Amino acid sequence: MTQQGDRSSQVKVNLDELLARVENDHELLCELIDIFKEDFPRLMQLLQQSVSRKDMRSVEAASHALKGMLSGLSVTQAAATASRLEEMAREGKTSGLIDVLRLLENEVAGLLPELDGYAEKAKP
Amino acid sequence: MKILIADDDGMSRRLLAKTLEREGYEVISVGNGRLALQQLSLPDGPRLALIDWMMPEMDGLGVCLEIRKHHERPYVHIILLTSRGSKQDVVAGLEAGADDYLTKPWDPGELTARLRVGQRILQLEDRLVEARDSMRFKATHDHLTSLFNRGIILDLLSRELSRTRREEGCTVVMLGDLDHFKGVNDTYGHLVGDEVLREVSRRLLASVRSYDFVGRYGGEEFLIILNNCAASKAIVRAEEVRNAIAKHAVQTIRGPLPITMSLGIFASRDWDLCLVEDILREVDLALYAAKAEGRNRVRLAKPTALSAGPNQQVE
Repeated sequence: MTQQGDRSSQVKVNLDELLARVENDHELLCELIDIFKEDFPRLMQLLQQSVSRKDMRSVEAASHALKGMLSGLSVTQAAATASRLEEMAREGKTSGLIDVLRLLENEVAGLLPELDGYAEKAKP
Repeated sequence: MKILIADDDGMSRRLLAKTLEREGYEVISVGNGRLALQQLSLPDGPRLALIDWMMPEMDGLGVCLEIRKHHERPYVHIILLTSRGSKQDVVAGLEAGADDYLTKPWDPGELTARLRVGQRILQLEDRLVEARDSMRFKATHDHLTSLFNRGIILDLLSRELSRTRREEGCTVVMLGDLDHFKGVNDTYGHLVGDEVLREVSRRLLASVRSYDFVGRYGGEEFLIILNNCAASKAIVRAEEVRNAIAKHAVQTIRGPLPITMSLGIFASRDWDLCLVEDILREVDLALYAAKAEGRNRVRLAKPTALSAGPNQQVE
């Protein structure tokens, strides 16, 4: 398993925090990653469509769900950005929404392969 | 202990379930508020619940509000678990009926500690309900026989008579008195007398239907109310009761004792009486007649006996 100190600047996951949350249960970590990989692309797509339609209720719901998932896997920075999007949607702020979405997209780029790497190493 | 997890996020559900299973909870997971409400409304549903705020179909606040409408159900301890952590959100959650509030991402140690607090509160509630039920039972039942006490059986009689009049049905009232019971107490002592009263009560309950009422009216007197019982069946039913007492001797610490009961019967359909006091007078007269005619028998109160009184006092 990759140690936090060895990770490059591309590392998205706070692995120490995540392992503490799953109480070092690697089997559970793999399960969570599987669930994440199944739900995350669908939610990102929903968020992108909602932003382009300026459907603020849907933006709020999708970014809220993403925030929960990301913070659940200790993807701290992206979770904070999703939270920002949720807040903007709740307040009806359309200005700058696309910029924050782009920021989130950047922050989660490469996340799935990174998670795959953890899952591979966590396998018994 | 059963616990409900309601969260639309599959990862949260799995993570919570794992943590709680490790702690020994029996976990039930659902993905929306409607299913959560369904689970919590089941008669043996979970009484501890971890509910996410934002969920499809019904949100966490909606679940809290619905659950708190039903005061008659056992209390459910609800912890709202959400990433909405502002003061206003906390207040709104608690006002809606949540008992506690945890923000995501949660710390497993804090979560389990808060659940233990919930369990302690539920245990306290259970003890209070148990104490209340016990006090209610003591206030409505006879201490020795566990039958309805005099006050309650008379209330039930009044209620049944009103219902019978409304529905134009018939209620049968029986007043039974153990024959020569004073002799049992005098010869064998009050402990044996108490044994006899308890066994007679058990036989009385066993000889009537589950929706009939049996109460201890006085020392060795019992009032039996048969709901929706045809007047034509009154004597047959009373004979069944009498036979249930007389058929087998009552086993006591001083050996088997033959016990019999005399019964006066009143069938409301045959009369135009409304007051409980009038009915008790008539059924009492019928009981006295049964005693006077030799005991261990039943006598039906007849409307012509309205003004008649007992010729003699009998035990």
